[in-house]
Amino acid sequence: MTRFSTKIKATLAAAAVATGVSAPQAMAEGMEFQTVTDLLHLVMSSDRTVYTRMIVNRLAVQEGVIKASEHFVDDKALVLPAQMFRFGSELVAESTDEFSYSLLSLWPINKQNAPTTDLEKEGLEYIADNPGENFYGEEELGGVTYFTAVYPDVAVAEACYACHNDHKDSPRTDFQAGDVMGGVVIRIPMDS
Amino acid sequence: MTRTRILWIVWVLGTLIVAALFANKLFFAGNRTAVLPGQTAGAHHQIEVSCDTCHTSGPFASAKKIKKDINKTCVTCHKEELAAADDSHPLKKFTNPRMASYWEKVDGRFCTTCHAEHQPEITAEAMVTLQGDFCVACHSEGDQDIRKDRASHADLTFDTCASSGCHNYHDNRALYEDFLVKHAGAPWVAASPVHPTEALAHSYTPVSADQIETYLASIDAPADVVPAPEPAVDLNEITHDWAASSHAAADVNCSGCHAPEAETQAEIDEQWTDIVTEATCATCHKDQMRSFSTGKHGMRRHPKIAKPRSAKDALKFLGVKKPSKELQAEVAKYLNDPTNPGVMTPDEALIHLNPEAAHDSLTCATCHTPHRQDTQRAAVEACTTCHVDDHTAAYFDSPHYDLWQAELAGDLPAGSGVTCATCHMPKSESRDKVVTDHNQTATLRPNEKMIRPVCQACHSLGFAIDALADDALIQNNFSGQPSAHIPSIDWALDRVEPPTQGANQ
Repeated sequence: MTRFSTKIKATLAAAAVATGVSAPQAMAEGMEFQTVTDLLHLVMSSDRTVYTRMIVNRLAVQEGVIKASEHFVDDKALVLPAQMFRFGSELVAESTDEFSYSLLSLWPINKQNAPTTDLEKEGLEYIADNPGENFYGEEELGGVTYFTAVYPDVAVAEACYACHNDHKDSPRTDFQAGDVMGGVVIRIPMDS
Repeated sequence: MTRTRILWIVWVLGTLIVAALFANKLFFAGNRTAVLPGQTAGAHHQIEVSCDTCHTSGPFASAKKIKKDINKTCVTCHKEELAAADDSHPLKKFTNPRMASYWEKVDGRFCTTCHAEHQPEITAEAMVTLQGDFCVACHSEGDQDIRKDRASHADLTFDTCASSGCHNYHDNRALYEDFLVKHAGAPWVAASPVHPTEALAHSYTPVSADQIETYLASIDAPADVVPAPEPAVDLNEITHDWAASSHAAADVNCSGCHAPEAETQAEIDEQWTDIVTEATCATCHKDQMRSFSTGKHGMRRHPKIAKPRSAKDALKFLGVKKPSKELQAEVAKYLNDPTNPGVMTPDEALIHLNPEAAHDSLTCATCHTPHRQDTQRAAVEACTTCHVDDHTAAYFDSPHYDLWQAELAGDLPAGSGVTCATCHMPKSESRDKVVTDHNQTATLRPNEKMIRPVCQACHSLGFAIDALADDALIQNNFSGQPSAHIPSIDWALDRVEPPTQGANQ
């Protein structure tokens, strides 16, 4: 943990300050797992909200100058916000296994984003039933114990819920602005 | 001494000697073919003597590290191809710990889970060493049960997913659902079928005889520059061919290839070589050389293939830290390491090739006439020098060949003809430059890779999918119509426009 903390502490602290949000305070030596995941999530959700509101929603929904499409290469379109988030998490996975994250839902358009572990299911149900709250737990996967945090993923723009309500593969079609549509799951291995 | 005791000593000594010989081969010297644990799969036989290309771990590494290291080497050669394929099951999708329950089924974090090497008995098409119904492992339970998710799939068996012309594990660029819907319903062949990039590449105005003479008169007479050629070489023909080529247009003259480093006449005379190597071609034709080195024709040139083991390293392994040059030379003689065995020759191929070409080596000039700009030869003639299978023989009776002849005769526009290269070495346009893919295997593994860059220029997606799934039609080089229909497009359409009668349900 110490190695991990020192490497990313500065970045996270800077990000927290830059976004002007009262984030959990990083300590001089070592951080609680929950503090780390809270800070990581702050960066993730801020970037994603900026992309969704200022790029996709503005250009594709409000101004209609370009489409956002799952098949962004073939359609010469913008990457969907959920894809942008996933590509980021895959890039992180190529660089480190000291933490991992994914965007999941109980109502996923892409079935591979449905919960695969019991704790994921429990966490997603908890954040859907308790708006505004996060979920934290521990689980063992592949012989390693993880600290797992689940954060609500809220429909921040029309682009989010309109697309999910209209997609032929969507299991739920009554999302509204502000609804919890899924969750961001962040994991940190607890065994050093 | 009893007989038993003697036998015991002989057995122990014999075992030690054999073990020492194997260890010597493995870790120190000589040809290691004898210690191959089983023939390598597919094209890997071309590099199988270069063990260190894939086996990069040091001696006594843990099994976990060895597995990780080996899998890293797969992507040193196949990374670009997988990225271009928009891989449906990339390794990075499986590394997240949430996929741990899947690791026990099919561990998608490692190439070797499905492509185990040195297992010729169980190696199937595309180097797959799992049972053909491997999709069942992850797509048959709970939320992921495809039979519940797609009504059309309810009665399908899992051995048909990848064998039907519907799905591939890696490359589904021409098979994904929305693509099927987007390209449904087109006529099987376009009204005026032309491959646009081929057309672009073929659309150049031939240089006239007068232009050639004028050009040759305007420059230094080549005979004054080129040292006396062999009697068999017709210098006049060579200079005329060259003067009409793109090389002349780009000011690449005789010494540009035959004495590439020379700057003065004296240096040209001194450094002149009649044999121009690939390295010289690759100075300018980098893209072509890179793709050539990833296909079966040129893979032995891939820069990541292990270099021969060096005498210095062997001595270092034995504890000699600063060996003298004499000692290194002696050991090098003994090493005789065949690693990286030069260029491929047809006699080494695992498929039947023309025995008359058995010892031709495969370099740039094998297919390309070096002085004359003759892409026709490289597009068909050169291929048939070695390839004598049914598919190749049937080409000359095929509609694709007739189109090519019509294009050559000027009866059809540029890009109408279909040659071997049209399908197996497709051209692409990037930043106003047409580049030919010199990895002639790329569109074949699997053959649905051919659909987008090649088939769809003239044919409908539905026809292309059906045709590429029909082995007999491939054998007769597409003379006729596909004998079976793959229903993937129909099923995809049913999901967006449900049929009133519930067909396929």
